[in-house]
Amino acid sequence: MDYIIDVKDLRKEFTSHSSRSGLKGAFRDLFTRNYTIKTAVNDVSLQIKKGEMVGYIGENGAGKSTTIKMLTGILTPTSGLVRVNGMNPHKDREQFVRSIGVVFGQRSQLWWDIAVQESFRLLKKVYNVPDEFYNTHMADVIKTLGIEPLLDKPVRKLSLGQRMRCELAAALIHNPPLLFLDEPTIGLDVLVKLRIREFLKEINAKYGTTILLTTHDLSDIEALCERVIMLDEGQIIYDGALRKLRENWGEGKQIQFAFAEEATHAELQSLTQGHLVLWEQGGNASNWTASVENNEDIISAVIGRVVGAKKIADLKIVEITTEEIIRNIYEEGVIRNG
Amino acid sequence: MSYLSIFFQYAGQYLKTRLTYRADMLVEIFSDLLFQAVNLIFILVVFGHTSLLSGWSKDEMVFIYGFFLVPFAIFGAFFNIWDFTDRYIVKGEMDRILTRPIHSLFQIILERMELESLFGVITGLGIMFYSGHQLGLSLHWYDPFVFVLLVAGGALVYAGIFVALASIGFWSDSKTDIMPMMYNIGNYGRYPVNIYNRIIRYVLTWILPFAFVGVYPSAYFLGRDEWYGYAFFTPVIGVIFFGLSVVFWNYGVTKYRGAGN
Repeated sequence: MDYIIDVKDLRKEFTSHSSRSGLKGAFRDLFTRNYTIKTAVNDVSLQIKKGEMVGYIGENGAGKSTTIKMLTGILTPTSGLVRVNGMNPHKDREQFVRSIGVVFGQRSQLWWDIAVQESFRLLKKVYNVPDEFYNTHMADVIKTLGIEPLLDKPVRKLSLGQRMRCELAAALIHNPPLLFLDEPTIGLDVLVKLRIREFLKEINAKYGTTILLTTHDLSDIEALCERVIMLDEGQIIYDGALRKLRENWGEGKQIQFAFAEEATHAELQSLTQGHLVLWEQGGNASNWTASVENNEDIISAVIGRVVGAKKIADLKIVEITTEEIIRNIYEEGVIRNG
Repeated sequence: MSYLSIFFQYAGQYLKTRLTYRADMLVEIFSDLLFQAVNLIFILVVFGHTSLLSGWSKDEMVFIYGFFLVPFAIFGAFFNIWDFTDRYIVKGEMDRILTRPIHSLFQIILERMELESLFGVITGLGIMFYSGHQLGLSLHWYDPFVFVLLVAGGALVYAGIFVALASIGFWSDSKTDIMPMMYNIGNYGRYPVNIYNRIIRYVLTWILPFAFVGVYPSAYFLGRDEWYGYAFFTPVIGVIFFGLSVVFWNYGVTKYRGAGN
């Protein structure tokens, strides 16, 4: 089986020196330094097939960006094997980057002062895209993203959502078979998010573009990816179907109570004694959420006891969201008994 | 060659943007001219007190200054990398550079070019023709070609030193004053090196070879044949220093640590 991304035991260490305290320490630092090695990515192995859409998630500092930067040839790995599109990203960098598209949500690929279409034209030259291909392909991309009206405006005058759509278009000028998206929907409103997701699905279906996506917004992953890779402290802690993650972890339910008066944790806990209930406070002291097992008897019993003792303004039963599943995994570790 | 056509595409875009901010461009050209005038006045004031400096006359000094302006203008137009560490390493713009299929240094040259600096070429030529006329210098048919070669060598010397300095940013992104200091040292190259003591002369020739930007190549046009060896060595020094700095740069790129998000 040919993999489009094939990574084995990838590792990246950063050395930094820690300075000693005080003036005396500063003098000592001049001569001998204390170096600390921080392993940002710790022996990561992963394979991605052509046409897959994979979500790459983890907390801040888990090593997501570092991995992406090694896969795109920006950073040189400390050790390990990387083959992306059959090439070694940092070795044949200039050749390699022709076969990928990159969007960094927090960094613009476009020229700030010039009109969007001028940016496109420069990039077209940089990637050496033939005219006829550019005309048909880009016309399609521009239409699907709905950015025709923005083409003659300078980038600095665009809103974030408009800019992001242009960034996406810019990353696709050379129609790369592999697309890296680092936080592509950060700070965008719901409509733009939906539009971008639709667009990504479309190019994935149309060109078989492989997409690796990092995001903090798990709804992106839910909408797009069948597979997630979860990273913690530089190591992969889960690699598999999103569905499975939900099945194994999302079996509980949440009951959201809005009480007519304030309630305390101890008070609620004593009410539901005897059942495994996790109480968490919501926005204020009268909003509380109870996490319980997905079992009708327990749910009824908990509601019954609480409603019997306290006045209720509102009540809602919801399934545990992916976000909470992920949070639980980070708190408890991925291996759970049972 | 595709790099050349990419260059013209960028240059065209640059002019287009600059022309929409005409006032900025005029101010910049004006301040460049003012800076050059101040330096010229300095030379003239020095010679108000003496007619010869270590065997060099006023007009010769002015000629050297005029020559110096040409490679310096070319350097200034294309190697605006004095703020490389701040702009590209600390702010992480290097990430973007490295995801594009052109050599990283070339991209930075393209992005940071300031073509209005090329105005200095005209000033330099003007000063050279004026002082050359005063000195009664004659022009041979091959002189323009030699001129181009020596100017290219001088510009490459400058570029080499500053590219190497910028490359340090790949290892350490702390702020240093090394860049402005180097600009100052660079100015010593536009005075005849035999007015300095031996050590400084050695440094300006072999370590930080700024003498190859001003005095050595000018010696050729001034007919100072005792310096001819150095003068013809200018392009060689330029290629060596620039070549080494690019090697150093390429090595630095593999050490790039990226900016944290």
